[in-house]
Amino acid sequence: MTESPTALLEARGLSKDYGDTRALDSLDLAIAPGEVYCLLGPNGAGKTTTINLFLGFVAPSAGRALVAGLDVSTHDRETKRLLAYIPEQVMLYRNLSGLENLEYFAALGGQGSLGRKRLTEILVEAGLERETVGRRVSAYSKGMRQKVGIAIAIAKEADALLLDEPTSGLDPKASNEFSALVERLRERGVAVLMATHDLFRAKDTGTRVGIMRYGRLVTELSTAEIGHADLERIYLEHMQADTQANGGSP
Amino acid sequence: MAARTILRNEWRLLMADRPLKIVLGLFVVLLGYALTNGVVWLRFQERTVQATQTGNAERIHAFGQELEAIENGAEPSSPFADPRSPLVLGGPSGSHTAVLEPGPLTALAVGQSDLLPYYYDVNVYTNESSFHQNGEVENPLNLMVGRFDLTFVAVYLLPLLVLALSFNVLSEEREQGTLALTLSQPVSARTVVAVKLAFRAFLVAGMVLAVSLLGALATGGFGSPGRLLLWSATIVTYALFWFVLAAWVNTLRRSSAWNATVLVGAWLVLVVVLPAALNAAASLLHPLPSRVEMITAQREASNDAVNRRSELLARYLEDHPEMAEGVVADEPGLGALSWAATDAVNRRLEEVTAEHDARRDDQIALVRRYRFLSPAILAQEALLDAAGTGDARFADFQFQVRAFAEQWREFFVPAILAGEEMSARVLPDLPRFRLKDEEPAEVARRATVPLAALGGLLVLVSTGAGIGLGRVRGAD
Repeated sequence: MTESPTALLEARGLSKDYGDTRALDSLDLAIAPGEVYCLLGPNGAGKTTTINLFLGFVAPSAGRALVAGLDVSTHDRETKRLLAYIPEQVMLYRNLSGLENLEYFAALGGQGSLGRKRLTEILVEAGLERETVGRRVSAYSKGMRQKVGIAIAIAKEADALLLDEPTSGLDPKASNEFSALVERLRERGVAVLMATHDLFRAKDTGTRVGIMRYGRLVTELSTAEIGHADLERIYLEHMQADTQANGGSP
Repeated sequence: MAARTILRNEWRLLMADRPLKIVLGLFVVLLGYALTNGVVWLRFQERTVQATQTGNAERIHAFGQELEAIENGAEPSSPFADPRSPLVLGGPSGSHTAVLEPGPLTALAVGQSDLLPYYYDVNVYTNESSFHQNGEVENPLNLMVGRFDLTFVAVYLLPLLVLALSFNVLSEEREQGTLALTLSQPVSARTVVAVKLAFRAFLVAGMVLAVSLLGALATGGFGSPGRLLLWSATIVTYALFWFVLAAWVNTLRRSSAWNATVLVGAWLVLVVVLPAALNAAASLLHPLPSRVEMITAQREASNDAVNRRSELLARYLEDHPEMAEGVVADEPGLGALSWAATDAVNRRLEEVTAEHDARRDDQIALVRRYRFLSPAILAQEALLDAAGTGDARFADFQFQVRAFAEQWREFFVPAILAGEEMSARVLPDLPRFRLKDEEPAEVARRATVPLAALGGLLVLVSTGAGIGLGRVRGAD
């Protein structure tokens, strides 16, 4: 069933329960092509659950996750063809090189025809030093693995990008390069959903931010309309308000 | 496309994994050693068969020469080995050795061929005790643990290699974090695991089959394509059973260490404990009579028979009136009296061995009833049947030897009773043992049961694994 063709990523009343715990509560969200939506919130707010629902990694308890109008629950493969995903920690095959890992995941994602030369260029574009692409991943730092993850996403040429705290553990320079990369993808019309703790990066990279707390999207802001300080203030207000509402417990 | 990609990646991972390459290399060495053992045993058996056939011909030839010489006036070489006596010509010195040729794939599966006799010296004294002895001197270690042949490697060691290659097929991906990245691509966990296992199964089963075919090529096994096909099908089904079991355990979302513990436990139970428990239960519920009891009965019957030879002869002739012609009832010859005693001992032995055989049959029936619990028992049964070294072929051989021994007696006993002398002219008419080996259709019919049962177990674990894999998602 195809719906809302204008939104590439869409959540409608999306909820997820783990036993008695509601991890995500009736999330409504629509991300258009060329938009970078940053989900902010503390641990356990439901950011990663949202991404997992879009990836079909978990089944929703209620509501629907749609990618290009296709329900993820019923169109698993079709929606995954449209998505690229970079987890918080990109884990790769340690005994293979960065290039071999990229070759594998790119081929799985449907880009098997990309030659080694092009794949090397993509790795360099993602920020990896050219001379390191042939080294075994076991010798890579976390940042280098993250760059391979970015390269996998670039190689896939996906319509939508799901990022789960992708700059966690990256040095400032790498984080900055990553933001620039996201910006380039946005300009190409890619819809980006990024879960992050980094308010600065969210303001800098995102076109919209959503603040989540206890599985609920408590507010949505346009980054064009607020400054860094405003975002920090609003975020903290929501955290404190929720803490008070919950009798002082975080 | 995804399958090809995963296959290529598996190959790369294998090539980059030195310990795994060492394990696989070691397995190839074991396969080679096992095949060598099988070929050595086969060659030994072939030499023995050749020697027995030569012995049969030489005995007839020697008797022929001596009988002709006696007819021309010469004296027999010994009064106690006069070939004119039917008790000599048909007795131990004139025995005809009935031989079971090695099974077509003996080099791959020694099976029962080093435990059960594959030749018997048949003469007029052949009785049930002859079928309860094994004249071959065998290394006691071999008797205890069995020969290290390809069947041993396939049934006992192949599952361990399979488990080493597959215990973490999914859990490792989860633990090292590559599962999420993999399943974020348009490919299902079922496809990923199926292709990974197919690659490893092809590798492992391929190695066993390659060495098997090499062995068959070197020993003429290709003359029995049906048996070779049955052998190959059993190896593949058995290997797949263990691979799919590992996949099933992997879907339980536990750690690699937990998977390894459970799978090694499964190997221990299904391959070692269950078969041993079944054997123990069979021995406990249907204990075989003591062999000493059999020997004592034979001795007692012999003593008794010697003392009552005249009475026994009269009874024998009463029971076999067709044999009475030519027997002088008032003054029977020594041969007739001796035969009467022999017959009485044979009858007593038949009673004792019948009980032994009945218990043995009960044991076999018990094991057969519960063999479906252990894929190892099923695989071994099918492999031995395919090789022609299983129980059934030996039982059939023994059955034919019994019939041949009867034929031999029927040839000589009338002459023994009548006190007739044999001449060189009877030699061409002496009974000769000609084995009627089992037909391929018979082997196929028999092996279908364990193979189908093994297939059933495979379907069972495949269903469990399939359902489990369907539930695997990237966020496990």
